[in-house]
Amino acid sequence: MIENFLLGSSALFGDPYTLAIFVFGVLGGMLFGAIPGVSMLTLAAILLPFTASLTPAQGVMLFAVIYCTGTYGGAITAILFNIPGAPENAPTAFDGYPMTRKGLAGKAVGAAVLCSAIGGVASALVMMAATEPLAKWAIRNIGPPEIFALVFFGLAVASSVGGRTIWKGWMSVALGLIIATIGQDPVGGIDRFNFGFSDLAAGIAFVPAILGFFAVSEIFVQAEKTARGRYEAPPVNMEFPSFFELWQQKIAVIRSVFVGFFCGILPGIGATLAAFMGYGEAVRWSKNKESFGKGNIEGVISSETANNAATGAAMIPLLALGLPGGALTAMMVAVFQMHDLEPGPLVFYNSPDLIWVVFAAMFYANLSILFIGILETKTILYLLKIPFQFLAPLILLLASIGSYIGRGLVLDVMVMFGAGIIGFLLRRSGYSIPGIVLGIILGKIGEQNFAQGMQMVHYDLFDYLSRPVCLILIIAGTLTLASGLHKAFKANPA
Amino acid sequence: MKMGNLKNSHLIEGTIWLTIVLVFFAFTYDFNQPIEIYKFGATGWPRVILGILLFVTLGNLFHQYRFGSAAQSGRVGISDDDDEADGTTSIGAVLKIIAVLGTPFLYALSLKPAGFYFATPFFIVFIILLFGERRPRWIISITLLIYALLLFLFMMVLNAPLPQGNVSPFYDYSAFILRMNSQFQQLDLW
Repeated sequence: MIENFLLGSSALFGDPYTLAIFVFGVLGGMLFGAIPGVSMLTLAAILLPFTASLTPAQGVMLFAVIYCTGTYGGAITAILFNIPGAPENAPTAFDGYPMTRKGLAGKAVGAAVLCSAIGGVASALVMMAATEPLAKWAIRNIGPPEIFALVFFGLAVASSVGGRTIWKGWMSVALGLIIATIGQDPVGGIDRFNFGFSDLAAGIAFVPAILGFFAVSEIFVQAEKTARGRYEAPPVNMEFPSFFELWQQKIAVIRSVFVGFFCGILPGIGATLAAFMGYGEAVRWSKNKESFGKGNIEGVISSETANNAATGAAMIPLLALGLPGGALTAMMVAVFQMHDLEPGPLVFYNSPDLIWVVFAAMFYANLSILFIGILETKTILYLLKIPFQFLAPLILLLASIGSYIGRGLVLDVMVMFGAGIIGFLLRRSGYSIPGIVLGIILGKIGEQNFAQGMQMVHYDLFDYLSRPVCLILIIAGTLTLASGLHKAFKANPA
Repeated sequence: MKMGNLKNSHLIEGTIWLTIVLVFFAFTYDFNQPIEIYKFGATGWPRVILGILLFVTLGNLFHQYRFGSAAQSGRVGISDDDDEADGTTSIGAVLKIIAVLGTPFLYALSLKPAGFYFATPFFIVFIILLFGERRPRWIISITLLIYALLLFLFMMVLNAPLPQGNVSPFYDYSAFILRMNSQFQQLDLW
């Protein structure tokens, strides 16, 4: 492995053109990941046609690097403005933004930088060591029933986070799930809840919904504060977390690496659920649960470690089996096909040089998050000094364009502003915006895998629960819900 | 009848949620058709979710009946910013909030007829004004800066197809901007 890694590294650093593409991918991923709505997917989609002129190794490596650094990039806006650059950074805002309000933005961003790098590097190392056996395990043990079980567990965990009461947490997730049913059903293609609008036949696109619920509602919250004369710019502090502070969180980091890696390896699940589950598990095991959501650095650390740990894992089913787990890995399949290659087991034998350039690039991309991130943090914190009246129109316009360019529909811009108003009102009433968003994202995946899973087990519940991964996840999810219900009936107000 | 800690706002909130459940449930009959390969059909999943939503809405009302609006102890991920606003709002502040909520909608509505290129500078100015900035020099310079930045990024670098409008003279203005861009890109600057 080490020899192959060194060969991959020398191929990466030995060719100035390949190195330039690597640097472009690192910076582009960070930048596009940090702009709400204009995610790393936008950059990847723009670059896809140009990869035809690159070698296969350069093309796949570019996308893999964008994936790593783009997943980190969205944490910056989540921490500084409560506007996650992408859904996988949403839990980062739970504690990152309160830290910013307390003047601890430097510590929050510093923790995000370091833990994104640790999560990504750990994931890349496991990917290098164990892609083939892990992929074989996944293909034998993971199918639609297990993916549904994981979605169920993930939603149970997500509903316990955010929301003034557990009831409001559950209502938020249920609202997201019902929004996800708008459009065609995933089995028969029958139109549902289109209310006579033909544009709704394709469903509510989740990018406008996410931008509305997060970015636009945050602008409205700040507008309300300005109108009431209660707006205060957060203090800017460049202090990074100390080594001791980070060392105290080593268990949270290790746990989140495992959670992120497990979620990342499953097709379609990926970094978003990884971040929520990493955060949820941090809360579950913490002795100081009340401090979460009020600026606990462990919240930032757990979600950022988990989402970056998912990136390396997501490459495993792609490279070893040819199964893309998400939109970006699907684009990587397109890059392979442009060069008359098929990702899958044969790639390891036919093109080992390509595989090891990609592995080495992902390793170094995650390391570069650490070095570039620290430099970037020193400058990016000055964004907090820009008066909000000048940032607000820029954020609203970036969100509008991000919503529009996905499908070219003005309806999506309206959906985004509608989601912004609903999000603003729901936040005031103590509902969980991340819960709604996770419901929207996982609703379709959950329904599709539930339907396929039920068909596989011939609608036999015992057959379903005889699958060990399903049984464990369904029991864990049910216990989470039961514990929430118990607390809801017993709990006293805070 | 004793209402416990329930307030009118809780009843309104509960009514809205129950209406959502009822309306969506009624609409499930629009697509209540069997799918040959799937026993639960197109309505199975949405109806289960609506059932869950009904249960948790009633649970929420029960919680509010016992404890009012108070947050449950041990809840995490609740930001202080998300707390319900106090009732000390002047009419001017309410109007300003309504204007901030409404302006983006008007902007979205204007995108089809007027286009992105024409409507955007006005939108920027309105938002800056609504956020309380009154210095004309700052308003103009920041508007131009944001407009130029967006044109550079989305029109020149990304070539993103943005709404051009369908009503003259707005459409002509968009065409003019796009013509300028293509002429600029044809210049051999390198």
